[in-house]
Amino acid sequence: MQLIERYAYHNRLRKVQPDHKAAIALLGLLLCLALDKPVVSLTCIAWMFVLVVFIAGVPARTFGHVLLVEGGFILMTIPGILIGIGPSAPSDPAAWAWPLGPVWISTSSAALWRGVALVMRALGCAAAMNFLALTTPSVDIIELLRRWRMPPVLIDIMTVTYRSIFVLLESANTMYIAQDSRLGYMTSRMRAIHNVALLASQLFIEAYRRGKELQIALESRGFTGELHVLPTSYRFSPLFTVLGVVMTAQLILLWAMV
Amino acid sequence: MEDLFEFQNVCYRYPGHKQLALQDVNVRLPEGEKIAVVGRNGAGKSTLFLHCNGLYRPLCGQVLFRGRPLAYDRASLKRLRQQVGMIFQNPDNQLFSASVAQDISFGPLNLGLSEAETRRRVLEAAEMCDIIHVLDRPTHSLSGGEKTRVALAGVLAMQPEVLVADEPLASLDPWMRLTFFEILQRFYDRGKTIIMATHNLSVVRYWASYVIVLQAGRVVFSGTPKELLTNRVVLEQTELSRVWWKVDPGFDEETRAPATSPGAEDGRLKETRNFHFGEDGDWSI
Repeated sequence: MQLIERYAYHNRLRKVQPDHKAAIALLGLLLCLALDKPVVSLTCIAWMFVLVVFIAGVPARTFGHVLLVEGGFILMTIPGILIGIGPSAPSDPAAWAWPLGPVWISTSSAALWRGVALVMRALGCAAAMNFLALTTPSVDIIELLRRWRMPPVLIDIMTVTYRSIFVLLESANTMYIAQDSRLGYMTSRMRAIHNVALLASQLFIEAYRRGKELQIALESRGFTGELHVLPTSYRFSPLFTVLGVVMTAQLILLWAMV
Repeated sequence: MEDLFEFQNVCYRYPGHKQLALQDVNVRLPEGEKIAVVGRNGAGKSTLFLHCNGLYRPLCGQVLFRGRPLAYDRASLKRLRQQVGMIFQNPDNQLFSASVAQDISFGPLNLGLSEAETRRRVLEAAEMCDIIHVLDRPTHSLSGGEKTRVALAGVLAMQPEVLVADEPLASLDPWMRLTFFEILQRFYDRGKTIIMATHNLSVVRYWASYVIVLQAGRVVFSGTPKELLTNRVVLEQTELSRVWWKVDPGFDEETRAPATSPGAEDGRLKETRNFHFGEDGDWSI
C-alpha cells in the first residue's frame, strides 16, 4: 500500500486531470467486462502496462508486483469453476472424472478454458484499476468524487478515514515497538497473541481520543458539519481523449475480428 | 493596555470528574502582548485555553472578550473563532486532510470567503510559515516541524486577532523552535496578541511580556516576568523557585530563594521583546 501511495504521488501523470485518468480506467474496466474474450483482456493489460510504465514512469516491477498480488486472490476463486463435485459421473463424455469415496470429482477442457478466460478478464479489469491507483493519489480521487456529486457526508468520511489510517498506523507502530522493546514478543506464542489484543484495544481507545481532539480542533476553525476545502486545479490533457478513443476502437476491433 | 479576555469567577468541571478543572478563575489577558501561561501538568492550562474559543462553556462565572461576555450561539461563535486562532500540541490531531493545501483552506472557506480569496490566503499563510514547498505533498509524509507549521498556517489563514497555542514547542527541535518563534514574531509585529502555554522557562523569561501562573485550577499570578521573578511568595508557593533558580543568576543557590530583586540588575530582562533562544538551556517545570 505504501508503495502504491508513493508512486501515486511521484509519477509523470500526477498533474493530469484525474477525470481523464479515471475515464481511461473505467473505459478499460467496462470494455473488459463487455467484450469478454481473453485477447481483449490481454490487450487491455498491455495498454495499461504502456500507460503506467512508459507514460507515467512507474517501474515495470511495481506494475507486475501489484498485478501479481491481485492475481493471487483471483486464482483462489478458480477451483470452484474448474472442479465439479457430484454424486455420479458427469454425463459429458469429454470430461475427466475420478471417483473419490461416494462422490465424483470432475473437470473438462471447457471448464479449463472458462477458468482461463475468467482469470484474464479479472486481470484486465484489475490492470485498468491499477492504472488509476498507481497514477492518482487518493486525495485526487476523493476530489474527483466530490466533483462528480458524491454526497458530501461520504466525501468527508473518506477524507478523514484516509488521513486517520496513517495517524493510527503510526500509533500502532509506536505501541508495537514499545511492547517489543519490553520483550513482549520474545516469549510464548500465547503471550504474543495476548499482546496484540492489548495493542488493538489500546488503539481503539487512542482512535476515540484522537477523534475527539480532531473534533475540537476542527470546531476551533469554524467547523459546522461539512469539511469545506479548496478544489485542486489540474492541467487539461487532450492526449488522454485521443488515447481513450484509440483504445476503445482497438479493443472493439479485436473483439470483432478474433 | 486594553483587555482582550477577562475571566470572571470562571469554574469548570469535566463530566464525570469530582475535581474542578478550573476554580474561581479571575484573570485579565491584555491585548498586544506575548502572554505565557505556565503551570504543572494538569494545572488547567488547556482547559483555560478551550474557554477562549468558546469550545468549553464555563460552569459558573463568565468569559469576556474585548469587554463583552461570550455568547454561545452559532453566529457569535463563528465570529469569535475567526478572531481567536488555536493550535494544539499534537499537529496530527488537528490536520484532517491528506492534502496540505486543502487543510489550510478549511478555515478560510468556513468563514465564507470566495475561492479566489481563499487561494490567496492559503498562499500567504504558507509563505508566512515557510511551507510553500510542502503544499503539494501528502500530510503524512511531513516531518513533525512541518506538520506544526502547517497547523499554524491553517489558523493564520483565518487572519485571527489572537493566537492561542497550547504547548506548541513540545515536539520541536531547537532549530525548529527558533523558526517557530520567527513566525510568531511576524504575527506579533502586525499588532496581534499571542497566548502560549509552555513548560519552557526561558520562553517565560525572555520571550513573554506577560505571564499567567496556574496552580491546581487557580490563577495564582498574573503580571510581567519581572514581577514574577521578584514575587517571592508566588515562586515559593508554586515551587517555581525549585526549578527556576538554575536559570536565574540572581538566585541565591544556598537558600534556593530569589534575591531581593534579581531582575533589576539583569540587563537581559530589557530584551524581553527580542527573544534570545535557549541562552540558559531548557529547564522544564
